[in-house]
Amino acid sequence: MAMLEAVGLRKAYGDFVALHGLDLAIEPGEVFCLLGANGAGKTTTIQLFLGFIEPTAGAVRINGLDVATHGLETKKHIAYIPENVMLYPNLTGIENLAFFTRLAGRGDLDDAALRATLVEAGLQPEAADRPVGGYSKGMRQKVGVAMAIAKGATALLLDEPTSGLDPKGSNEFSNLLVRLRERGVAILMATHDLFRSKEVGTRVGIMKHGRLVACMATNDLSHVDLERIYLEHMHD
Amino acid sequence: MIGIIARKELRELVRDGRLRLVAALVVLLLLASMAFGWRQAAAVAAEREAAQRTADALWVDQGDKNPHVAAHYGKHVFKPSGALAFLDPGVDPYLGVTLELAAHQRTLPRDAAAGDASSLARFGTLSAATVLQLFVPLLIIALGFGAWSGERERGTLRQLAATGVRPRQLLLGKAIGVSGALALVLLPAAAAAGGVALALGEGVAWSRLAALLPGYLAYYAVIVAVTFVASARARSSRAALVALVGFWSVTCLVLPRLASDAAPRVAPLPSPDAFAAAVKRDLETGLPGAPREDRVEAHLGTLLEREGFEGAENLMPDALLQGFELQAEAAFEDEVFDHHVEALLDAIARQERVSQWAAALSPYLAIRALSSGLAGTDFAHHRAFQTDAERYRQALVRALNEDFARNAGDEGWRYRAGRDLWARAPAFEHAPPGLGWALRHNAVALTLLLAWLLLAWAAAGFTAQRVKVVG
Repeated sequence: MAMLEAVGLRKAYGDFVALHGLDLAIEPGEVFCLLGANGAGKTTTIQLFLGFIEPTAGAVRINGLDVATHGLETKKHIAYIPENVMLYPNLTGIENLAFFTRLAGRGDLDDAALRATLVEAGLQPEAADRPVGGYSKGMRQKVGVAMAIAKGATALLLDEPTSGLDPKGSNEFSNLLVRLRERGVAILMATHDLFRSKEVGTRVGIMKHGRLVACMATNDLSHVDLERIYLEHMHD
Repeated sequence: MIGIIARKELRELVRDGRLRLVAALVVLLLLASMAFGWRQAAAVAAEREAAQRTADALWVDQGDKNPHVAAHYGKHVFKPSGALAFLDPGVDPYLGVTLELAAHQRTLPRDAAAGDASSLARFGTLSAATVLQLFVPLLIIALGFGAWSGERERGTLRQLAATGVRPRQLLLGKAIGVSGALALVLLPAAAAAGGVALALGEGVAWSRLAALLPGYLAYYAVIVAVTFVASARARSSRAALVALVGFWSVTCLVLPRLASDAAPRVAPLPSPDAFAAAVKRDLETGLPGAPREDRVEAHLGTLLEREGFEGAENLMPDALLQGFELQAEAAFEDEVFDHHVEALLDAIARQERVSQWAAALSPYLAIRALSSGLAGTDFAHHRAFQTDAERYRQALVRALNEDFARNAGDEGWRYRAGRDLWARAPAFEHAPPGLGWALRHNAVALTLLLAWLLLAWAAAGFTAQRVKVVG
């Protein structure tokens, strides 16, 4: 069964249609990269999966549960990493992680386990006890990944998680995604990064004006092919 | 779950340097106002004791004189301190705590109209009640205005929503977190209040102090809920803050002012001159439908009948008859005084009720009434004191007149009584009414405060369920 599923998903704001009937299914162990210009509907799709906004028509399902009717249950399966993982600046990295992890229902993880998760996500051990207010963006994204790992999420919703990261940070982040993919996590990632999409993604989809205009597996593609197809679709 | 949220909220608040500063300021204000109230209460108590002793001594040592002349000489009595006046002086500063009692007159509190002065006047006397009722809500607003809007602005609300936390749990957790921060501010103050109450000693109404606590907690819970509703609904933290400071200004400053302006329209008071003129007129001619002569005659008849002299006026010694006549006149005068003064006090009580009903629009007015009521310093308590004092005055004058009647004999107006008689007059005792009485007199304020509590939390729960995560 698909972990993340959109069926005839439509979102309209008055006369403006942000999403025209999207159909999408992502299996465990799959990384689906959503490409497209700003305003193409990528973030809208992710926010519909999160239940932050309600669909005009169609449905989103997580692990078979409809988000509209089982909003809170579906949250047990997912982790969300936005472009900027936002944390409480007055609290330390470990305090932030402990807070969000316990809220997500993992009260069983002790301090040592949480610290280990932060290290697994690539944060230097000594940074854990510093207030997050002084973290770089890359460090905050790592706390975001640690939150996903600690929660034991089986589906990941990522909204341009690497934009603004330097190549090293971006590379580290990609490696983490690959490891999660190998554990069987289903990942939906909105991104502008064609290169990473090819590296990390198992499939890529190109969105334009609220429609999924192309969808292909990455192992059939070269970097050059992907860029060519992408640019073709961007021509009006 | 709720505990996790509450701890995180508290941790965030405690680590915010600006909030620490504001909280320290409020603690300081509270302790200072309480120290001030303590000094004031101790001074008043000492003064009262000294004055009562002097007054009693003057009374006993007034020398030999005719008892009726002594009744003219008069006596001072003092309102026992509400032991909690140091927390909430209520109307004491306006109405005073002393009354002069003498024959042929009924003294009125000095300036009853000041009892309804606007809340701005209260800034002048910084009582603990002022800090608790006006400034602590500002602290709550400072603690809570960003509780929801701040999370939305920082983007952490999305992160929270993605964890699957229930909105109700988030609401409760945040409420407990803010309450915890508030407790850090209020606990030292509560301890200080208990300490001062102990230091002031006898007559502390612990049940009243204990009843004040849930009253104030309910008030603060209302403010927390209102703050959360504004924070969850407002477009930004700044907008929430503006709305909340507006709410505070309207409910704490504007509405009390309007209520005290409206009160005289609902229950107008006569001017002091008009009041005095009306009393004087009725003392000369009697109340409408009860001419002076008829009433004096009736009182005299009752007295004579009670003493077994009915129909024997001609056989009685002059002094005896004169003594009874004096008392019959005093009884008539008391009727006139009672009629006018009770009407006046009823009008003031109606004004108080207007202010209590205005609490439907302002939780501040509810706690203000409830607080002074429980502290024993509201108008109702003052009236109870006045009523007791008047009863005492009437009994004293009666006892003196009757002594004159019984013992003057042939000496007539030359008869003099002495120290023995003066010392036999009982001391004035006024036991302040009990807790139940105080609550009954503030039933409107109490009910409205509870209504605010229910409605505000229903609104907060409703808003939390529907809080927008994005945009």
